[in-house]
Amino acid sequence: MNSHIVKAYDEELNHLTAEVARMGGLAEAQVSEAIASMARRDATLAQQVIDRDLKIDALHLDIEHKAIRLIALRQPMADDLRRTVAAIKIAQDLERVGDLARSVAKRGLGLIDGEPLTPLTRSIERMGKLVADRLKDVLDAYSAGHAERALQVWRSDEEIDEHYNALFRELLTYMMEDPRTIAACTHLLFMAKNLERIGDHATNIAEQVHYEVTGREPEGARPRTPAPAAPIDEPGRD
Amino acid sequence: MALFDTPLLGDRRPHRLAGPHMLALAAVALGLVALVAMAGLRTEVVAAALFAGGAAAWAILSSARAALPTAPAAVEPAPGLGAAGVAALPLALPDPVMIVEGVEPDGAGDRRIIFANPPARALYRLGEPPSLLLTSIRDPEVLEAVDEALFGGTARTVLHLPGGVQDRAWRISARPLPPAGDAHRCLLHFRDETDSRRVERMRADFLANASHELRTPLASLGGFIETLKGPARDDPKAQDRFLDIMADQVSRMSRLVGDLMSLSRVELNEHIPPSGRVDLSLAVTDTLDAMTPIAREAEVRLSFTPLERGDAAVIGDRDEIIQVAQNLIHNAIKFTPAGGEVVIEARSGLTLAEACASAWPQASRMPLLTPDPDERVRYVRLTVRDHGPGIARENLPRLTERFYRVEGAKPGKAADPGGRAGSGLGLAIVKHIVNRHRGGLAVESVPGQGAVFAVYYPQATSA
Repeated sequence: MNSHIVKAYDEELNHLTAEVARMGGLAEAQVSEAIASMARRDATLAQQVIDRDLKIDALHLDIEHKAIRLIALRQPMADDLRRTVAAIKIAQDLERVGDLARSVAKRGLGLIDGEPLTPLTRSIERMGKLVADRLKDVLDAYSAGHAERALQVWRSDEEIDEHYNALFRELLTYMMEDPRTIAACTHLLFMAKNLERIGDHATNIAEQVHYEVTGREPEGARPRTPAPAAPIDEPGRD
Repeated sequence: MALFDTPLLGDRRPHRLAGPHMLALAAVALGLVALVAMAGLRTEVVAAALFAGGAAAWAILSSARAALPTAPAAVEPAPGLGAAGVAALPLALPDPVMIVEGVEPDGAGDRRIIFANPPARALYRLGEPPSLLLTSIRDPEVLEAVDEALFGGTARTVLHLPGGVQDRAWRISARPLPPAGDAHRCLLHFRDETDSRRVERMRADFLANASHELRTPLASLGGFIETLKGPARDDPKAQDRFLDIMADQVSRMSRLVGDLMSLSRVELNEHIPPSGRVDLSLAVTDTLDAMTPIAREAEVRLSFTPLERGDAAVIGDRDEIIQVAQNLIHNAIKFTPAGGEVVIEARSGLTLAEACASAWPQASRMPLLTPDPDERVRYVRLTVRDHGPGIARENLPRLTERFYRVEGAKPGKAADPGGRAGSGLGLAIVKHIVNRHRGGLAVESVPGQGAVFAVYYPQATSA
C-alpha cells in the first residue's frame, strides 16, 4: 500500500475501511440471524435482531461523520478520495441492509403464532442463505480490495432474482390452494422481497468496490431478470 | 481459562481437567508465551529472548505439574526441546491459532493479527503478519470477545459461523495474554465444530426425509398384503402380479434408503477437500462403459470425445467423481426420447469466469453452485447435454432440492430405463459432491430442446 507523509492520514483511512467492514459484519449477522429466527420460530432472537438495528444506524452516522471530517481536513485525492466516498456509499447500503433484515425479523414474529409452513420457510431459508453468502462475498472483496471478486458478485445477482421468482410462484400457488394461508404467505412474500433487495444492495456494494479499486464502473449492463410479472394467470382476467 | 490463570497469577489450585487436554494446552501456552516474549524483545539480544522464553516455559511447566499431580509422566518437559523447539510448537498445532494485538480500547480498527500459525493462515488466506483483524473476521460477536480479552482481561468462547458455500462452524476462544508495552494481546484459538453440528442436522433431516418418502410405498405394500390375505387369497394370477408390484416397491425403497445414505455420507465429508488425482476424461470413459447397456435399452446414443491423457487431471475422489458423471448421464438418458443422443464434453484449463460462462446463448441459465473465487485455480469442465423436454426457467433453482422431481420423469414409463425411478436425490448428491471438490455446477435449458448440466472441478497442477 502506498503511504503518505502524514502517518495519521493513513491511519484514518484504514480506520474508516475497518469501520465499514465492522458495520458489514453487523449487517451480515443481522441478515443470518433474522433468517434463523424465522426458521426456528425464535421470538427472542427476532427481538434481538430488531433491537440491534439501532447499533447499525449509529455506526452508519459515525462512518459518515468520520468520512466527511476526513474529506474536510485531508482533502483526499484519487484513490484516497474514491476510498472515502466508497465508504460513505457502502455504509449507506449496509444501513439499508440492516433495515431490511429488521423487517424480515419483524415479519417472522408475525408467523410464530400460525401453523408452520415448513416447505415455504425452507425455501425462504435457502434464499436467505444465498443472499447472506453474496453479502459475505462482497464484503470479503471489499476488505481484500479485490475488484474481480466483487465483479463475480455483481454478475450473480440474477441467481437471487431467479430464486425470488420461483418463491413468488410457489407462494401464489399456496395461497390459491388454501386461502387460510394468505396472511402467513403475505409475510413470507414480503420477506422474500426484502431478501431480494438485500441482494440488490450487495450488487450496489460490488459496484462501489469495483469503482474504489479500479476507478471505473463495471462494464456492461447490470444483469437483470424480468420481474415475475404474472407467473400465474390472474383469476378473473379471462 | 484455568491453565492461563494458573502460571500467570501463581494460583496453584488443583484443576480437574483431563490429562491429555491439559497437556495440549500447556504446549500451546508454552510456545505462545515464548513467542510473545520474543516478539516483545525484538530489539534486545536474541539470547535474552531465548532466556525469557525458556524461563516462562519452565514456570508454566512447573506450575502445570503442580496443578496436575496425577498427570501421566509425559507432562515432564522434554529436556532436549529448548527455546526454539518451544517456539515451534504453535506452528505445529493442527488447529488455527492467532495472536491479536490492540492499543486503543475504542478503536476496533487497530486490532492486528501479529501471529497466525499455518492452519490459521490457510483459513483466512493471510499473508505475512501483521494484518488487520477486521479484514479477516467481521463477526460482531467474535470482535466483542476479542475486545473483552484484550481490555477486560476475560476469556470467552463464541460460536462463529462464517457462512460461504462450505458452511463451516468454528468455536473461537479468546484468551488474554500478557501485554507488551501499551499493546494488549490475546490469543484466538479455533476449534472446528462443523462435524458435530452437521451430524446433528443430518440426523434430523434424515429422519424427516426418510419417514416422509417411505410412507407412500409402505402404505401401498400394506394394501397389497391385505388384498393377498383377503380377496386374492385363491387367485394365483393376481398374486403373481401383486408380488411383482410389491417387489418393485421394495426395490424402490431400498434405492431410496441407499441414496439417502450416500447423500448423508457425502454431506458429512463436504468440508474435507479430497486429495487424490483423477483423470476426469478417463473417469467419464469408464462411466460410459458401465452405462452402455442402459443407454442401449433406452435406444439413446452416448457421444464423448476423450481429452488427451493428463489434460483433464483434477483433484478429487475417483468414486465420487464417477458418481457425479453417472447421475448426470443417467438423468440425461432418462429425459432423452428413444433415438436421441446425449452429448458429453470435457474441457480443461478454464478460468472460473470461463467455466461459468454460458455455452448456449439462447438458453435460460442457472448456476446451482459456484465455488469461492480463487484466481489461481483453473477448472476442468464436464457438460452433459440431453435432447429431452428441457426444464422451465422457474424450476431451475429448485433442481438440487431433495426429492424435487421435474415433471416428465414419471416413474415406470419408457423414459425410465433400467426401471430406476428417480429418488429425487440424484442432483442433490451431485451438488454436495461437487461442493466437496470446491467445484461448481450450472444448468442451462431451452424448453422443448433439452438441457445442459455443467460441472467443473479444480484442475490438478502438473507438479
